[in-house]
Amino acid sequence: MLIVTNVSKSYGKLSVLENIDIEFSNGVYGLLAPNGAGKTTLIKMLTTLLFPNEGEILYNGTNIFHMGDGYRDILGYLPQEFGYYKNYSARQFLNYLAALKGLERNLAKVRINELLELVGLANVADKKMKKYSGGMVQRVGIAQAMLNDPKILILDEPTAGLDPKERVRFRNLLAELSRDKIVILSTHIVSDIESIANEIIMIKDKKVLYKDSINSICKTLEGMVYETSIDYAQANRFRNHYFSLSEKQEGDKMKIRFISENKLDDSWESVSPNIEDVFLYVYKDEVIKEG
Amino acid sequence: MDIRIKEFKKIVTSPIIIGLLVLFIVYNSIFIFQNSYFREELRVLTRLVDRFGYEIDDEMLEKYRLYYEEQLVSLNKITKEKTSKNYNSMAEFFADYKYGLEDIYDREELGLIMELGIMEAYYNTIEEIDEVYSSLDIMERAESEINKFQLIDKAAETVRNQYKAFSERFQQLVNNKEHKNLFFLGKVYRLHSILFKSLFKIIIFEIIILVVLITAYIVNYEFDNKTEAITYTTKRGRDLILDKLYVSIFSSLVVTTIILLVTLALYFIIFDYSGLWKVPISSYFNTDHNFPYLSWWKMSFVQFLFFTIGLVYSITLLFNGIIFIIARAIKNTYFAFFVFAIIFGLFLILPRLAPNSSNTIFIGAFTPYFLILNPHVWFMEGGAFATFKYHEIVTLVIWALMIWVLSILSIKRFKRQDI
Ligand SMILES: Nc1ncnc2c1ncn2[C@@H]1O[C@H](COP(=O)(O)OP(=O)(O)OP(=O)(O)O)[C@@H](O)[C@H]1O
Ligand SMILES: [Mg+2]
Repeated sequence: MLIVTNVSKSYGKLSVLENIDIEFSNGVYGLLAPNGAGKTTLIKMLTTLLFPNEGEILYNGTNIFHMGDGYRDILGYLPQEFGYYKNYSARQFLNYLAALKGLERNLAKVRINELLELVGLANVADKKMKKYSGGMVQRVGIAQAMLNDPKILILDEPTAGLDPKERVRFRNLLAELSRDKIVILSTHIVSDIESIANEIIMIKDKKVLYKDSINSICKTLEGMVYETSIDYAQANRFRNHYFSLSEKQEGDKMKIRFISENKLDDSWESVSPNIEDVFLYVYKDEVIKEG
Repeated sequence: MDIRIKEFKKIVTSPIIIGLLVLFIVYNSIFIFQNSYFREELRVLTRLVDRFGYEIDDEMLEKYRLYYEEQLVSLNKITKEKTSKNYNSMAEFFADYKYGLEDIYDREELGLIMELGIMEAYYNTIEEIDEVYSSLDIMERAESEINKFQLIDKAAETVRNQYKAFSERFQQLVNNKEHKNLFFLGKVYRLHSILFKSLFKIIIFEIIILVVLITAYIVNYEFDNKTEAITYTTKRGRDLILDKLYVSIFSSLVVTTIILLVTLALYFIIFDYSGLWKVPISSYFNTDHNFPYLSWWKMSFVQFLFFTIGLVYSITLLFNGIIFIIARAIKNTYFAFFVFAIIFGLFLILPRLAPNSSNTIFIGAFTPYFLILNPHVWFMEGGAFATFKYHEIVTLVIWALMIWVLSILSIKRFKRQDI
């Protein structure tokens, strides 16, 4: 059990997170928030790279900073941005990290082969990493996070740079891996976690806004999401009145999905909200461009 | 262990570091060869020492003189035959020949002429020792140093006190007859300057460049390659910095050993010191310019050499520590070099700004930066700022302590720092 209690973090005068309380038990947690909300900041504290200004982070009751290598030993971490050694092959790179993770040499060898297989890099394992594509490097990153068979796996935007096919593969991989672990992954891409996360954590205005199952979070918009078809000419006027979630061309009309407190027109069709609707609605005041 | 080997591999596989190491060794070799044109002449002394030993006393001098005269007779036989002339000394002989020796004498005869000429130079030098040393005034030296740097008041007084202490040592040196030993003639060959002033200074600068490169490179390797988030969250975590410190120290010592070993091996192959290793370094013959090199302790050449080597290793470690602290604080390798260079410059310039009347002016002399400028007078009388008996040791101890404390603080800070 990993518990964040009353944690605040600021960079100099810029306060990023305030009084954060979160509890993680085994399962997949999706950290969902727009750019700059503080996902990476929270993750860096969970991985001991950053020290909270206030509050503490406990693993099974012990402060993770006091646990030291005992904590890091059960931690697997894929940073949002990470470098590698250009002239190392994936195997050499993993070997190096295995040594830092204190893996016994023979065990490391076996484990590295397994993981290279798992992330689909077995056939290029001995090529220099500078010849890898972005997606391949990302997969090496995922493999290194799992080297020590971590109890806590933290992935900061793990699907960045992966093509759609790889994303699906990664999602399946994660569902399989997450059985007896705490898995925390951050993203601002809703579809990445929709199907696999047990709980979603949303951060807004430096605080935790939601920490709940997808269903429960979606319920907050229950009865407020509608779809209807309108003329293009009306579109602007409509958008001024209602918060538009998505728009789609349908013949010479426009199908619009939007938020409204009440059903004001019979042509409106009430639909069940999804997590993307919540995301868009919650962060409507922030400029977001989804990737 | 595994981790340290892997860290060491990062250094060994760095083309810049290996490339520079090779370049430096090549440069040193060229430097030695360029100064080696007189190496054959040095053998004359080797043969003389073989025959008479290096300690100069009346008995030895008598033997030396007889041998010299004997040789002169043989030369005169030849000159009589070839030019019907007779010489009382080589000086007289050489006065006759500005040019054209080669036209008259064959190779073997020329060899004898050269040998005799050198023998006479050593003989003349032996003869002048007593006179030189009886007129050598240490306090006069002190005053000339004081004038040179325009020291007044307390600063001048300090220099006088140091030289007063040195006068006692000088008396002891004379009583020990440390000055009365044959050694390569400094005024002609300047070997002390070539070896300890030029070559050792070059070596030290090369070592510092490599130590700075290695240490900054290894300490910031993760930050330069953006792998810090991965490496410092592994089990080893921030303790990796300790491995890096050890590996940088080990590598610095390896590099120092390689440069010293190769350069000095070549030097002593080119310049044959056999028979002279145990000659006191304060021998009058070891006078490259107007004033002899006078050591604070009775030391043979080989002892002086090893003390110098020891000090080079110590200074290597000091600079290793300094750059470790700088590179740790500044996570960018190139910026770390820059800061190191600035600090280096400041330590050389700032002491000059101290008032020439106060003892603060001497603080600047007790730094490794100052030490490396004058390796030829380590453990010796060394001018206004370096004639403190324990100058080198005090500098080493103070800086080692400072660097040790700062390194510990630096490591502690790193462990509590946001990355
Ligand atoms: N080292 C730092 N120094 C100063 N400010 C920082 C630093 N790191 C992050 N910030 C600021 O803190 C805020 C939160 O950044 P953070 O990287 O945690 O956001 P994020 O949710 O991970 O964003 P993204 O989706 O773009 O990765 C941002 O405003 C950012 O500019
Ligand atoms: Mg981020």
